[in-house]
Amino acid sequence: MSQMSALNDGSLSPLSQRASRCFDNLLESIIVDVASECHRIARLGLDRNLEEEEEELRLSAQARVADPGSSGESNSKNVIDIFGQTHPAIASETFDCMNCGRPVTAGRFAPHLEKCMGKGRKARTKVTRSSTIARNRHSRGSPVTVYAPYSNATNSSRVSNGTTRTAGEEYGDFTFEES
Amino acid sequence: MSSDSAADPARALRLPPPCPHLVAYRSGAGAGLRSLYRCLRRRPPLGRPEVRRDPGEVPRCGSCRDGGARLYACLACAVVSCSLHAPDHAAARPGHEIAVDVDRAELFCAACRDQVYDPDFDAAVVIALTSLITPRAPPTQLGNRAKRPRRVEYRPWAPDEPERAVIGQRSSPLLVQEGNASSSSTITTVNSTANATTTSCATSSAPLPWGLRGLNNLGNTCFMNSVLQALLHTPLLRNYFLSDRHNHIVCQQKSRKKTSAKERSNGRDATGGLQICLACDLDAMYSAVFSGDRKPYSPARFLYSWWLYASNLANYQQHDAHEFFICMLDGIHEKEQDPFKPPSHVSSGECCIAHRVFSGTLRSDVTCTICGFTSTTYDPCVDISLDMDSKEGPQKTNGSKHQINGNETKSASMNQKPGTSTLMECLERFTRPEKLGADQKLFCQHCQVRQESLKQMSIRKIPLVTCFHIKRFEHSSMRKMSRKVDQYLHFPFSLDLGPYLSSSILRARYGNRVLVSDGDDSDASLESLSNLELFAVVTHNGKLDAGHYLTYLRLNSQWYRCDDAWITHVSESMVRSSQAYMLFYVQKILYYKASGNAIIS
Repeated sequence: MSQMSALNDGSLSPLSQRASRCFDNLLESIIVDVASECHRIARLGLDRNLEEEEEELRLSAQARVADPGSSGESNSKNVIDIFGQTHPAIASETFDCMNCGRPVTAGRFAPHLEKCMGKGRKARTKVTRSSTIARNRHSRGSPVTVYAPYSNATNSSRVSNGTTRTAGEEYGDFTFEES
Repeated sequence: MSSDSAADPARALRLPPPCPHLVAYRSGAGAGLRSLYRCLRRRPPLGRPEVRRDPGEVPRCGSCRDGGARLYACLACAVVSCSLHAPDHAAARPGHEIAVDVDRAELFCAACRDQVYDPDFDAAVVIALTSLITPRAPPTQLGNRAKRPRRVEYRPWAPDEPERAVIGQRSSPLLVQEGNASSSSTITTVNSTANATTTSCATSSAPLPWGLRGLNNLGNTCFMNSVLQALLHTPLLRNYFLSDRHNHIVCQQKSRKKTSAKERSNGRDATGGLQICLACDLDAMYSAVFSGDRKPYSPARFLYSWWLYASNLANYQQHDAHEFFICMLDGIHEKEQDPFKPPSHVSSGECCIAHRVFSGTLRSDVTCTICGFTSTTYDPCVDISLDMDSKEGPQKTNGSKHQINGNETKSASMNQKPGTSTLMECLERFTRPEKLGADQKLFCQHCQVRQESLKQMSIRKIPLVTCFHIKRFEHSSMRKMSRKVDQYLHFPFSLDLGPYLSSSILRARYGNRVLVSDGDDSDASLESLSNLELFAVVTHNGKLDAGHYLTYLRLNSQWYRCDDAWITHVSESMVRSSQAYMLFYVQKILYYKASGNAIIS
C-alpha cells in the first residue's frame, strides 16, 4: 500500500485504485471463507460447547493459584491418612520372601528380591567377591552369605520413595549389624 | 430427506428449517439440487469444490463485470451476480432467490441474505468430491448399519433362590467400618499450606469407600503402585475381578494340573510350584484391597510375578509407569485368554478383560497430495499417547501483535499462562492432518508410485476406559539424553471426544456437509458415547530419574490422593493443578449389547 501514488488532488491514481480494490476483494474473500465455514458449523450444531470448556479452564487456572506446585512428594509423608493411620517412611511390614523364604521388610523387598532372584547387574552368581568382603567384615565368624537379609541392614544413603539408585551398588555400602 | 437421519436420529446433524424461498424452490419445477454435482469441480487434488459450468470458466457479475469476493449464481437462471447486485436480481424476479456461491459451493438466499442449507445439495457436493478423487462410487449410507449389535436394556443382577443359598452358606459378611473416628481431626503435616485447602473426610459419618487402601512402596515401586491404584478402581476391571470372573484358586489348579501332567509325561516330578499368572495376582490383590482391611497392602507377590514375567524390567530401579501399564495389560492378555474359545483377534477387543476395557480403535488416513487418493487403516490401541507442545504458549506472540495499538491489550480468548497447554489442544494436534516429509513418501495405489502424503489420525472406536498417556519423557537417542517436560497440562474432568472421532474428522474433511457416512461407522458415532468422565490421574513429580508417582482417584464424587501407603482426601483443585502423566476416563453411559448367553457381558 505504500506504493500508492497520489494525484495532485490527494486521491489515488486509477492503477492504485484497482490495486486497492483487488486487495479488498482478497481480504473479503478470506473473511467470507472463514465466516461461511463457521456459519455452517454453528447452524448445523457442530460447534463444541465452548462455555463448558472455558469453565474447565477457569477452574484449572483458579486451582493453580490455590495450589501452586502442588503434589509435593515428601510433604505428605508425615500425615495421618484418612483411616487415622501413620506410616513410617520405609514400610515396616515383614513377610517371607517367596523366592528364598527369608523374612523381609516390605520397604526393602525390591532390592532384596533383585539379589535373591539374581537380577540386576551385580548379583549374578552365588560366589562373588562381595561374599568375600562380607566374610571379612564379620571376622567373628558368624556365617554371612551373599543373600543376607536386608532387614538388619541400615542404609542411610538410600531413600526408597521412588528415587533411583544406581544399579548394582556394592555390598561395601552397607553396614551389617549383628542380628 | 437424508437416509442418514432416518436411520439414526441421534446422529443426524441438526439441520435448520429451510427458509420459505428455499422451500418454494424445492417444490418448484427446477432441476433437482442433486444434479448440480455436474457443475461442481475441484481444484485438484485437495482444493475445495467450485461451481463451474466448464473448467475454464471465469465467473463475473452480470451487472458490474466485477470479479468480486463473493459471486452468486442464480439457480433459476444461472445469472451470476456479485454480493452487491444479488439482492436486486432476486427482488426483481420472484423464484430467483436461491443462488449458489460459486467459489464455496454454498447455497445463498438473496432475499434472506443468508447462507442456507439443503441435504440434497450437500449430497451433490459429496458425490462430486468423492468421484473426482477416484472413479469409485460415492459412499453409501445404508446397508452397513445392519452390522451394529442390538442394544439391550440393562437388567441389574439379583441372586435367585439357589444363588442365595450359596451366598448364605459359603460367604461371610465383610466388616463394614462406620466411617472413621479420627476423621474429624485435622491433618497434621510438616507443610500445612499444602493441605490447607483439603477438608477432613467428606462426611465423618459416611463410611469410606470400599477398596481404598494404601500400597506399600517396596523400594522404588511407586511407578507400580500408582498404576495399580488406577486399575484397582477402573470400574469394569474391578467388577470383573470382584465378581470372580478370574478365580485365582481355580486358575492355579488348572495350570498346576497342566504343568504336572506335562512334566510327568517327560518323566519329571511335578514341581508343585505356583504358575505365573498376573491376573491371579491381580485377583488376589483385589480381594485384599476390597476386604475392608485398611492397613497398607504390600504387593510383594505381584512384584515377584511381574519380575518373572517381564524379566527385562526386573530390577530395583524406577521404571516408567506407562511402560508398566502396557506390560500389565499384556500379562493379563496372555493368561486370560480362554483356551476353549477360538482366539479372538485383539482388534475386536473380545480376547480378554484387559482389552475389553481398554482397547479402542484408531483410524489412520493417508492421502496422496498429487491425486487425492486416500488409503485407510485401522489399528487397535490400549491407550492414546499424546505429545506435549514443545513450543512456548500462545500468549507471547499475542503480546507483540497488540503492540500495534501502542498499548498491550489482553487477548480476548481464554487467559492461559504462557507455556501451558490443554488436553484438547493435544487431541487437536493428534488429529490434525500432518504433511509427511519428502523423505517419507508413501506408495499411492492410484498413482502407482511413491508420493508425498498427508496423514491424519482419528478415533474410530472409543474404548470403555480411555487412558491418555502424556509424553513427558523425551528420549533422544541422537543426543543420547533424556529430558522431562514439566509444562503444566490442563485436563478437563468431563471430556467430549466427539470432535476427534473418525466420523467427525471425515465430515470436516468434506466441508461438514450434511450427508456423510464413513461407510462402516461404529457405535462411537452416537453423541452420548463420546462423553467421558475422569476417574483417575497418575502424576509424576520431580526429575526424570529421581521423581515420584502418585495417583488421584475419584470415588463417590470425592477425590483421594494415593501416595504409596498414604491415602488422603483432597480437593478438586489439588487434582486440577497436578502434573498429569496418565489420565483415565470412563464412558459416562455404558451400553450393553445382546450376547448369546443369558449373562450380559
